[in-house]
Amino acid sequence: MTLLSESPSPSAIAQAADAPVLAVEGLHVAYGSTAALHGVSLDVRAGETVALIGANGAGKSTILRAISGLLKARSGTIVWNGKAIANLPADRIVAAGIAHCPEERHVWPNMTVQENIALGAYLCRSREEVQRRIGMAFHRFPRLRERSRQMAGTLSGGEQQMLAIARALMSEPRLLMLDEPSLGLSPKMADEVFDVVRSVNGHGVTVLLVEQNIHNALGVASRAYVVKTGRITASRPSAELRGDPDLLRAYLGG
Amino acid sequence: MDLFPQFLANGLVMGVFYALSALGLTLIFGLMRVVNFAHGEFYMLGGVSGWFVTNHLGLDFFSGLIVVAAFMAAVGWLVDRFLIERVRGQGEEPGILLTIGLSIFLVNGTLLLVGPAPMKVAGAMAEGPLFFGPIAVTKLRLLAVAVGIALIVGAHLLIRRTRLGAAMRATFQDPMAASLAGIRTGHVYAATFALGCTLAALSGMLLASIYSAQASVGGLISLKSFVVVILGGMGSFAGAIAGGLLLGVAEAMWGGYVSMGMVDVIGFVLVILILLFRPQGLFSIRTERA
Repeated sequence: MTLLSESPSPSAIAQAADAPVLAVEGLHVAYGSTAALHGVSLDVRAGETVALIGANGAGKSTILRAISGLLKARSGTIVWNGKAIANLPADRIVAAGIAHCPEERHVWPNMTVQENIALGAYLCRSREEVQRRIGMAFHRFPRLRERSRQMAGTLSGGEQQMLAIARALMSEPRLLMLDEPSLGLSPKMADEVFDVVRSVNGHGVTVLLVEQNIHNALGVASRAYVVKTGRITASRPSAELRGDPDLLRAYLGG
Repeated sequence: MDLFPQFLANGLVMGVFYALSALGLTLIFGLMRVVNFAHGEFYMLGGVSGWFVTNHLGLDFFSGLIVVAAFMAAVGWLVDRFLIERVRGQGEEPGILLTIGLSIFLVNGTLLLVGPAPMKVAGAMAEGPLFFGPIAVTKLRLLAVAVGIALIVGAHLLIRRTRLGAAMRATFQDPMAASLAGIRTGHVYAATFALGCTLAALSGMLLASIYSAQASVGGLISLKSFVVVILGGMGSFAGAIAGGLLLGVAEAMWGGYVSMGMVDVIGFVLVILILLFRPQGLFSIRTERA
């Protein structure tokens, strides 16, 4: 399948071995006067799929929202490809190659599937290029092509999730951040979503995933960070966590 | 002699201007959720600045229309960036207080600068009437209506067909998703406010070419625009047009058959009926929240 224009170049693969593409250091974020993140540090290397796991309200989504510019960082740094991006407006983050597919999908309900997808490439000024990307999105998600003229609000949850991912990919990101992509989906539908995530990652897109379903998260990610009350409490390869339920329980406090 | 067709024609003429002004408000109130009590003042400023550019700067009607549109778009943009921006996302009350204050400022500023006298925009053509069977319409009115309809169509195309229009719809359906797609929502809000302000102002200038503009006219226009938006359904484009025409015709009929003095009451009667029997408006849009 040649769905994405760029396959990872040899230099990108070489880079994967050493420097992280995304490095978050000492990130503090607050909602009003309520602190939500107390100095989070993590890094993601090119081509990886990394999961953030942890209980509800631990701050996983907040980390993604700070990276994508939806939330301001109180302090700390976010470095993307060697550039400091903390507190840049969201449109600059998208332009820099980071796409954020938010929790609960947030498709535009009264726009057609096609309009939703097309707007994912809002920053792309070339009409032909947008058309090309729409073609690729429909190639990747044939079901969306069938429904292209339907209002997005009338799609099933699984279809909306596919649409949200398709829309996020329209900016041709090098890092795709997915927040709870399997939330509210049937196990079968969730499997389909994770197949898509694997395939996207297989085409060289780095993935940072927030997922409540630990089994799913560890199934797709190579490493996981455990987030607890606004802090990173552990970072382990998925295989290690998967093979040791006691360790997992200890980290997640379950 | 039956005057019904004439009343209907008069009502539809007025309805076009109500629709145009309400279209502006349906963007600002229906979509942006700013309860804009200064809307009528934007309408008034359109008339007054139209008078100024046609009578004092000696511009012809159409050049004047373009200058007024550009000027009022700039006013709307600045009002949004410097005032409305500060109360965004804080519920409706701060916006109400802000726009009431703004309306007082604009009325009194205008009174101070040009005084309370009616000001007539120099029209594009002579007042001669045209007859269509039993209906007489002046050429001037016909022209103003044509311009009004062209503006409505233009606004529709802007929202449905352009990149900015798509960004507007995305922002009002889901601002977070819009930000994540790279849309600068702050600019979209300002552009929408500017568009709403311009539509009101052009409606004001067109009507001031038929009647006249006056510093004090804004309050009533604000209320009538709210009436039309509520009649048509919040944020609904078709609703603003249908509501505007309905109000225009209802007023013309009431004025023609019942009493001229009570004409301004009719809109509020319609709103009460709508709120009782169809609170979502004539054209509700499918979103839970526009």
